[in-house]
Amino acid sequence: MSLPDFVSQLDALVSEAEQSFADAKTTEQLEVARIEFLGAKAGRLKAVQKLLGSVAVPDKPAAGKRLNEVKAAIEAAFQSAAQRLENVVEEIQDETFDATLPGPAWATGRVHPITQTILLLKDIMGRLGFTPVEGPEIEDSWHNFDALNVPTIHPARDPLDNFYLASAQVWGNGSSGGADMLRSQTSTVQIRTMQQRQPPLRIISLGRVYRPDTADETHYPMFHQMEGLMVDRGVTMADLKTVLRLFATAYLGNSVPVRFRPSFFPFTEPSVEVDYYWNGRWVEFGGAGMVDPNVFQAVGYDPEQVTGFAFGLGVERLCMIRHGIRDIRDLYTNDVRFLAQF
Amino acid sequence: MIVSWKWLQRYINLNQLSDTEAAERLSLSGLNHESTQVLAGDWAIDLEVTSNRPDCLAHLGVAREIGVLFDRPLQIPDPQPTAKGPAIETLTSVQVESPELCPRYTARLIRGVKIGPSPAWLQELLANATGDPSQFKSINNVADITNFVMLECGQPLHAFDFDRLHEQKIIVRAARDGEVLEAIDHKSYALQSGMCVIADAKQPVALAGIMGGAATEITEQTVNVLIESAEFAPGSVRNTSRRLKLASDSSYRFERTVDPVGIDWASRRCCQLILEHCGGQLCAGVIDVGPAPVARPPFRFRLDQIARILGIEIPPATVQRILEALGLRVEAESGPSPVWQVTPPAWRRDLSREADLVEEIARIHGYDKIPEDHAVPMAVSQTTPLDMSSQRVRHVLTAAGLSEALSPSLVPAVLSDLYSPWSDRATLTTLQPMLGVLDTKFWNTAGPVDCVRRSLIPSLLELRRINEFRHNLPIELFELAKVYLPGETFPSEPTMIGVCSGRSLLDMKSVMAEVFSTIQRGLNVRVEVVTDSFFSPGCGLRYWIGDRLLGLLGETSRSTQKKMKLRQTCVVGEFFLESLVDALQVIPQAQRQSLYPAIERDLNFILETKVRWSELESTVRAVGGPWLEQVAYRETYIDATRDGEGKKRVLLTMTLRSLDETLTGKQADDICQKVIGACTDKLAAKLVAG
Repeated sequence: MSLPDFVSQLDALVSEAEQSFADAKTTEQLEVARIEFLGAKAGRLKAVQKLLGSVAVPDKPAAGKRLNEVKAAIEAAFQSAAQRLENVVEEIQDETFDATLPGPAWATGRVHPITQTILLLKDIMGRLGFTPVEGPEIEDSWHNFDALNVPTIHPARDPLDNFYLASAQVWGNGSSGGADMLRSQTSTVQIRTMQQRQPPLRIISLGRVYRPDTADETHYPMFHQMEGLMVDRGVTMADLKTVLRLFATAYLGNSVPVRFRPSFFPFTEPSVEVDYYWNGRWVEFGGAGMVDPNVFQAVGYDPEQVTGFAFGLGVERLCMIRHGIRDIRDLYTNDVRFLAQF
Repeated sequence: MIVSWKWLQRYINLNQLSDTEAAERLSLSGLNHESTQVLAGDWAIDLEVTSNRPDCLAHLGVAREIGVLFDRPLQIPDPQPTAKGPAIETLTSVQVESPELCPRYTARLIRGVKIGPSPAWLQELLANATGDPSQFKSINNVADITNFVMLECGQPLHAFDFDRLHEQKIIVRAARDGEVLEAIDHKSYALQSGMCVIADAKQPVALAGIMGGAATEITEQTVNVLIESAEFAPGSVRNTSRRLKLASDSSYRFERTVDPVGIDWASRRCCQLILEHCGGQLCAGVIDVGPAPVARPPFRFRLDQIARILGIEIPPATVQRILEALGLRVEAESGPSPVWQVTPPAWRRDLSREADLVEEIARIHGYDKIPEDHAVPMAVSQTTPLDMSSQRVRHVLTAAGLSEALSPSLVPAVLSDLYSPWSDRATLTTLQPMLGVLDTKFWNTAGPVDCVRRSLIPSLLELRRINEFRHNLPIELFELAKVYLPGETFPSEPTMIGVCSGRSLLDMKSVMAEVFSTIQRGLNVRVEVVTDSFFSPGCGLRYWIGDRLLGLLGETSRSTQKKMKLRQTCVVGEFFLESLVDALQVIPQAQRQSLYPAIERDLNFILETKVRWSELESTVRAVGGPWLEQVAYRETYIDATRDGEGKKRVLLTMTLRSLDETLTGKQADDICQKVIGACTDKLAAKLVAG
């Protein structure tokens, strides 16, 4: 092959390659072009390169030089095309796609607001060293009343004010020794815990309690209580006030005034009612007191050796004030729109 | 208890004391201040009196409290009415047939009274003590005086028109069935045996301790008046009041017990005021049936108990002042440590022990004197496995889109009977039903809500129904609560995880699998298909951990759906939380992960249609060996023309991987051969060729 023929083939190859690379609109098209021209096995440059052997020996240096120039030019053209495609602004593939459309419905569920309040209470009391304990909801009247120093004739035992079981036979006084009633307070769990364990104790019990109020905006025949108990040698009312003060500060915040005033519960002596000042008035926070010696005697503790305090509060009221819930029945209707708010 | 500020001043000097200051101190010493009404020249102060303090259901009692708090003396009237008439025993008699209902009954007789309006000062005080004088109606001088004395000292009294008592006698006895009494409210009450009545020779004339009868009430014609001052058994008064739905100021006080010593004082006080304002002549003496009040026994009070319980020291002089001002007698015992002998007054039945005195001292001295920044010893608390498990369950279920519900533990029989998978025993029922908790528009024929639930599932279906009715979709709910399974003495109360979802059974199955996995990764949970008409045929599953029942899950049958009036079938499940608590891996442990590539092998088996995936999977796993990382279900294909009737093709993929080396094709082939062999032997499976 003569030198001019060889050179013209090379020149044609350069311009074709440059054109192909320039025409490539995607990296895939460019890759096809690259294989056509620069493919290691069957590329067209490779094919032209093989013709070099047929060029006359004296012309070979010139032909070789030209070949290298062409090779460099094609590679440069490829690089610049590759560069161009890398920087190219992608065009919309699907004209109908609308990224402002909503995605498929997807939502997490929510933990019930009562449970959320209970978890918060447990958390605060946990930091103060109180561990949760569990107990039955169906109780005998000994645990629900007698052991808590509620006299046999006390109005709290009235059959109309409690959910006695139809099978209990005994209501109002004494205990059948079996299941008598749905517990009316979580204090029963303190009694059971004290019967099983020795002091020191720092426990809370949380759960459902039952009293037959007709459901309305502010009443429900089932509600939740938190009950706390601390028993040890040397526990005083200063411990009680301190723990409840810390609890109130943790729950309500530093700036909310709290007051302690005398009250009456059969199972504590002295008894305390704790109020907090909210929206211009005192709101009952919960009841408390030093454990009555009769309660210690009922569970086999020696009131000369140990002292203790107990406190209790209603979860519903705290939860409702916290979340601005106006009707207690909403908590138990479980409308999913209601639940989704928390 | 509403007290009139003006009235209080009959017993205590309130100069330089404001009503607000008094109310504040009373609140902080046990009589919580509810409200104050400003009246013409007076304040009506409403105080909440706890059930242990009946002595404060009277102006004298409240005056005594103020006296103690502000260190002011109390002036108590000493009524000594002059008796000019004949001895009372010659004119009437009192017979108490039921001393258990009426421990003590006293009567005095005044003859020749002139009934008329009561004096203006008395009307004013009575009116102010109602809190709303515009509503007050004076009755007559005698009736107003009995009310006045009750509000003065707390002892309810009753005045009978003596001449209208048959045979002029009083009999205190239990009512007989069928007896009827028209009370002074002019309503008739059907009496029942066990209720205590005051009767004359012929018939009941008053409901003891609750209300007088119309036949013997004081009228303008009344001339002779019998004054009753008595003590009635609190339980009896309460029961009668409840059964007749009739409460009064009198019954309220008897239910809380009255001062046994005050009975005679009140009677004398009443007679004194009647003689003063209505004229007449008092008969000599008193008829007093029942044991005389016993003097309260003294008890020991160790002064060191104050600091032991309250955490602060209070000077003995202060303690003595408080106790004596409250009416207790204090005598020091001789001995090294300070111990007193203390005698409580008759009107304070709530004081009988050392602990009671500590409270008295604390509340008068002031709860605010006890510090609230004391150094309480630190202690650690633990999160219980139950709480930990509950939280993990809640996390997964809420992440999967289910919201937590809380529903009442009592359900009507129609729901209780709908489904009870855990107990065949009859449900426990309560005497009182829950009122106002059921959608009665829908359940208009359902009985009372008095069944203690044995399963969460009926409750959850009811919640679903309510939400469907409100067009709330999707409805994805769970509840963590106890159920009550009747037992020999006490029921068992397992905590259950109930779920109710509109997604598919297999979707919900995956959610539950994730719940179990967060309790313990790789927890070996087994399912079996059960026949249960509550579920669609073939769509009910029981879950097991080993031999322990874990729970059930299924798609409700159409008959269940119809019974609950649900628009669609849904998936419900219920699982024993305790089974998961016992399996709880408190702290998950890291496992080594293989760094070598995995090999996947597909196996396509022809099987009998009835063979379950669970059987196929467990057969594969049983022989798969340690390198079998995963068995994944791909698809089922049925082609009766190629494989024959009753056959199906199931495609599965095994993932094989070793912790220590790259597996060779030969090693993978060997495992496949073992698996194919086992499936052929156990399940008559045939590998699809090619």
